Amino acid sequence: MDYSMNFSDILASTLHDTKNSLGVLFNNLETIIAHCREQNCAGHAEFYTLQYEIQRLNSSLIRLLSLYKAEKSQLAVNIDYHSIGDLLEDTAAAHEILLGSRGIRITTRCPDGLYWAFDRQLVGGVLDNVINNAFRYAQAGVTLAASVSNGYLALQVEDDGRGYPAAMLINEDGRPGLQTNVDFQTGSTGLGLYFALMVAGMHIHQEKKGFISICNGKERGGGVFSMYLP
Amino acid sequence: MKQDTKPDINWKAKKVLVVDDFFNFRLTLKNMMRALGILYLDDAANGEEAVRKMAVRRYDIILCDYNLGPGKSGQQVLEEGRYKGHISAATVFIMVTAENTEEMILGAAEYQPDDYLMKPFAKEILEKRIRNILTKKGNLRNIEKAIDDGDYDRACGICDDLAAKNTGNLTEILKLKGEALLKKGDYGKAADFYDGILARGNVVWALLGRGRADLLSGRYAEAQATFEQMIAQNSRLMAAYDYLAQTLVKMRRPQEAQDILMKAAAISPRALLRRKNLGRLAYDNEDFDTARTSFQSVVEQGKHSCLKSPEDYTRLAKTLTRQNAPQEGLQVLAGARKEFPDDESTRLHVSVAESYIYTRMNRTEDAARALAGAEHSAARLSSDLPDALALDLAEAYIMAGETEKGSAIAKSIVSRRHDDEETLDGVRRLFSQAGLVAEGDKLIETTRNEIIRLNNEGVAMAREGRLDEAIAYFEEAAARLPENKIINANAAHVIMLRAKEGGGDAKDLEKARSYLDAVRRIDETYGDWAMLMAMYRELSAQEE
Repeated sequence: MDYSMNFSDILASTLHDTKNSLGVLFNNLETIIAHCREQNCAGHAEFYTLQYEIQRLNSSLIRLLSLYKAEKSQLAVNIDYHSIGDLLEDTAAAHEILLGSRGIRITTRCPDGLYWAFDRQLVGGVLDNVINNAFRYAQAGVTLAASVSNGYLALQVEDDGRGYPAAMLINEDGRPGLQTNVDFQTGSTGLGLYFALMVAGMHIHQEKKGFISICNGKERGGGVFSMYLP
Repeated sequence: MKQDTKPDINWKAKKVLVVDDFFNFRLTLKNMMRALGILYLDDAANGEEAVRKMAVRRYDIILCDYNLGPGKSGQQVLEEGRYKGHISAATVFIMVTAENTEEMILGAAEYQPDDYLMKPFAKEILEKRIRNILTKKGNLRNIEKAIDDGDYDRACGICDDLAAKNTGNLTEILKLKGEALLKKGDYGKAADFYDGILARGNVVWALLGRGRADLLSGRYAEAQATFEQMIAQNSRLMAAYDYLAQTLVKMRRPQEAQDILMKAAAISPRALLRRKNLGRLAYDNEDFDTARTSFQSVVEQGKHSCLKSPEDYTRLAKTLTRQNAPQEGLQVLAGARKEFPDDESTRLHVSVAESYIYTRMNRTEDAARALAGAEHSAARLSSDLPDALALDLAEAYIMAGETEKGSAIAKSIVSRRHDDEETLDGVRRLFSQAGLVAEGDKLIETTRNEIIRLNNEGVAMAREGRLDEAIAYFEEAAARLPENKIINANAAHVIMLRAKEGGGDAKDLEKARSYLDAVRRIDETYGDWAMLMAMYRELSAQEE
C-alpha cells in the first residue's frame, strides 16, 4: 500500500473542510444577527466584524490555493465571455450587507451591455480582496466601476478613505509602465498585491497584457485600485 | 446602482430539494429557502437518496453539494437525473461547491449544472442566482426548441434577435448559436462565427467550437493544431483532449489518440466515458495493460453511475483473457450478471463474451453452449444489434469455428457501414485475429462493391429521369439497409427531386425527412447533409 499523498490533494481537501465550516459559521451568524436585530439588542453590529473576518479568511484561502497552483504551474486562466454588469452587481451584492453594517454604501457604475472575455473566478477573487480592504478604510462609500479605455477593460474599486500609502502606488497614469519595484512585504497587503499582479498578467490577448494601477483621488477622493484587462 | 427589475416569482409554488452530506449545511440551506418563502422543501443526505426522491417528485429547484462523501457525487446525481429525465430543461440545478471543482473550471463534464455556487454565500446571492437562471431559462427556451426541431436557421434567427436586445445572457445565446451552426452542418459559417468571438479573447468554448468546425468538415490537421494549442496553454482542458483524440482516430493514428487519452486520464481520473474510450482504443491497439486498468476503473466507478453498461464488464473480461487470466475474466462476467437486470440484452452480452473466453480456454463444449445461448437471445431481441455487439458476436462465431455464421454478421455490418473506415478496421481485426486476413479483406471488398453497385444503379435511374423507379429502388434498399447513410441520403434526395418537379404526394416530404434524420443519426458529419437540408427546407416552405 502506498501511503504517500499529493500535497495539493491534502491542501484541497483541508480547504474543503475548512470552507464548509466557514460556510456554516457565516450563515449561523447571519441568523443570530437577524434575531438580535429583531430584539434590538445593543451591539449586534459587532457581529458583523466576525462575519467580515470570516469572509477575509475565506478569500485568503482561495488566494492561497490559487497561488499554490500557480507555483506548481497548475493554474491556468479559464477565459469566458461575461457580462460586466453581472460581475459588478454580483460582487457588490456579496459585500453589501457587511459594508452596510459600517455605514458604507457600495454602488456600481457600468455601461449597459458591456461584455468582456476574462477569467471570472480569478478576477472576482481580486475584487473581493480589494473590497475587503475597503471595509477597513472607506468612510461612507465604495464604487465598483467599469469602463473601456485604449482597448482595455478597466475595473476599478474606488473608496473615500485616506488613500493608499505612497509606497504602494503603481502605474498612476493608468498605463502599463515599466515594472516598478513593488515591495511584496509579508502580510496580507503584500500578498494581495502579488495576487492581483499575477491575475492581471495572466490575461494576455493580441500581444497586450493585463496590468494594475493603484492611485489616489478620482471621484471619491480615496484609494483607487484598477485592473486593466486586454 | 442599476435597478434590478425583479420579475415576480411565485416561491410558494416551487418544490425544492436540498442535497448535502453535512447536516448543518443542509439546515442552513433549508433556512435560506424558507426565508425566500419556499413551502415545499425536501432534503437528502447522499446522492442515492437524492436520486430516489427525484424519481418520485418533480422538483423545480435542486441545490446539490458537489462533494457528497462515499457513493454518488453531485455530478453523478446531475448526470443520472438528466439521463433518467427527472431533471428537465426547466429545472433549476445549482451545484454547491467548497472550492473550484474540476468540472466547473474545465466545463468538461457532459452534463453541466445551471450554475455553481461557492461556499459560503449569503441568502441574497442564492436568491439572485435563482432569479437569473429562471429568467434566462425563459428566453433560451425558444432557441432550444428550434434546435430540437432541427430548424437551425430559425434558432440562429432567434439568437441574433435576442443578442441585439441585450437580455443579459449574451454568452449563453452565442454558445447556442455556435451549436446551431455546427448542427446545421454549415461549418464555414460556424468557423467564421467562432473567429469573430476569438477576435475578442481566447474564449475556451469558442476555441473548442472552432476546432470542432474543422474536425466535422474533415480538416483534421487544422483541428489537431487548434486542440493541441489549447492543451499547451491549459493542460487541464479536458474537452480539448477528447476532441484531439477523436481527430487522431479520424486521421487513423490510434496509438497517438490513445496516448492523448492516457494523459487526460492521468489528470482527471474520474471521467467515465473518456475511460471507456481509452479502454477500447487500448484494446484495439493490443495494449492490454492499459485496457485492463481502464475497464477496471470504469467498472468500479460505474457502480454508482447511470452510464454503466454490460459492455464494460465483457470488455474487461476479454482483456483479462488476452492477458492469460481467463478465469478472472469469467469472474468478471459473473459480476455483470449480478450488476445488471436479467434480460436478453445482458444475457446476450455475457454469453458472447463467455463463448469467446471458453474458446480461448479450449473448453469447446462450454463455448458452443454459450454461443447457442447468445444466438437464442439475439433472435429474441427485436431491434438490430449495435455495431460493437454485432462485431463481438461475429468474432465469437469465427473463433468457435462457425465461420459461415460469423461472416454473415460481418457482411451485414460492412453493408451498413461500407464507407466507415473505423468500423471496417474493426472487421479486419476480427478476421486477422482468427488468422483469416485474406478472407476478411475479400469479404469487405465484395460487400463494399455490391453496395456501391447497388447505389450507382439507383443513381443512374435518377440521372435518366426515371424518378419513380429510382424512388422505389432506394426505398427498398433503405428498408434492407436502414443503417447505410448513403442509401438513406439518396432515398431522401430522389424523393425531393420528384417533389421539386411537382410530383409525388404530401406524405413524400415527411418520408424524405425521416431518411434525412437517419443520415444524421448515423453520421453527423455527413458531407451533403447541409445541401440536402436546404433543399428540404425550400420544399417545405413552398408547401406552406
